[in-house]
Amino acid sequence: MSTINFAAREINFKIVYYGPGMSGKTTNLKWVFQQVPQNRKGEMVSLATEDERTLFFDFLPVDLGEVKGFKTRFHLYTVPGQVFYNASRKLILRGVDGIVFVADSAPNRLRANAESMRNLRENLAEYGIKLEDIPLVLQANKRDAPDALPVEMIQAVIDPEMRLPIFEAIATNGIGVFETLKAVSRQVLARVASAG
Amino acid sequence: MVEPAIALFGGAYEKASHVLEELLRETGARYVLLLDRKGFVLVHKEALWAPRPPALDSLATLIAGNAAATQALAKMLGEPRFNELLHQGATYGLYAEEVGDLALLVIIFDNTAPVGRVKLFGKRAVQSLEVITKEALVEPGTLGIDREYHAGASALLDELFGN
Ligand SMILES: Nc1nc2c(ncn2[C@@H]2O[C@H](COP(=O)(O)OP(=O)(O)OP(=O)(O)O)[C@@H](O)[C@H]2O)c(=O)[nH]1
Ligand SMILES: [Mg+2]
Repeated sequence: MSTINFAAREINFKIVYYGPGMSGKTTNLKWVFQQVPQNRKGEMVSLATEDERTLFFDFLPVDLGEVKGFKTRFHLYTVPGQVFYNASRKLILRGVDGIVFVADSAPNRLRANAESMRNLRENLAEYGIKLEDIPLVLQANKRDAPDALPVEMIQAVIDPEMRLPIFEAIATNGIGVFETLKAVSRQVLARVASAG
Repeated sequence: MVEPAIALFGGAYEKASHVLEELLRETGARYVLLLDRKGFVLVHKEALWAPRPPALDSLATLIAGNAAATQALAKMLGEPRFNELLHQGATYGLYAEEVGDLALLVIIFDNTAPVGRVKLFGKRAVQSLEVITKEALVEPGTLGIDREYHAGASALLDELFGN
């Protein structure tokens, strides 16, 4: 859950970008890092392999500013999407407040999207969290791919009940990146507000 | 809001600060930090002589990730846990130890500070910190933030991420 540090008057939220390998999770974070003004962000930490695949996580702290005397900060993380990194992926989910699921629009990644969503459900279950109980937004990334599947088709495999908000994105150009982040942040804030 | 969290404020914060200050003095370390397992800094203290520390939130994130990976390794090997983490380079050392289930104590020291001393006083501090953090536990859902906060934060979201 969110960490409230009354002494430092800080409220911190943890948001995790999840999804199959190569779907564009790290690219989302890089865009946020590039666009957020210097005084509103910390260093971006990337634990990646030589070929830029995420090995453990990417991390970026973003300062929202001060609300009612509390500094409010979002810690953004990405998980490694490749199937065999599941042990590390699970660790990153600890204490998560909100999730962005980044799906790949390419037809040959449809199954990978579905499998990653199932994996998310299983990993959350290990922390005793139901997928339905956590703020979660979907992003259909790589909309610029020439053979990009219709969004509805992608959503049908990751969210068959069509329950979740979905945003179209081209993360390399920043399209849809902030919309997605804003949507999940709002949900996370709405939850803490209603918890009290 | 799914697992209990540590909310250090008032007396508990003062007590934890005091323990860290003592520890700094006893070990001659540069920086000492109390983190939660998610990698958020709860309290930190720096020696007066030490230069400004590197970005603390990055540091905390990496140490929490490292500790989580170490515990996962222990579990895979059938160990209930590995007790401590110690890294030593040519100039600096880093020592991390679990404080109960939800926190970590981190000591960053120069190699002129004897490791034995760091460990000894580190373990002693952990005992006090364990009691303090246990008392500062809050259950999920009890740390409500009001509507006014929510509205304010929402407006800032628009400002930072655009409309
Ligand atoms: N055409 C296109 N390429 C993209 C888009 N977003 C990301 N990419 C590219 O896809 C590749 C993988 O992107 P990453 O952000 O590293 O993917 P990831 O999800 O972090 O992958 P893992 O770390 O392995 O889980 C990179 O070459 C990106 O430049 C997009 O919207 N369109
Ligand atoms: Mg990545």
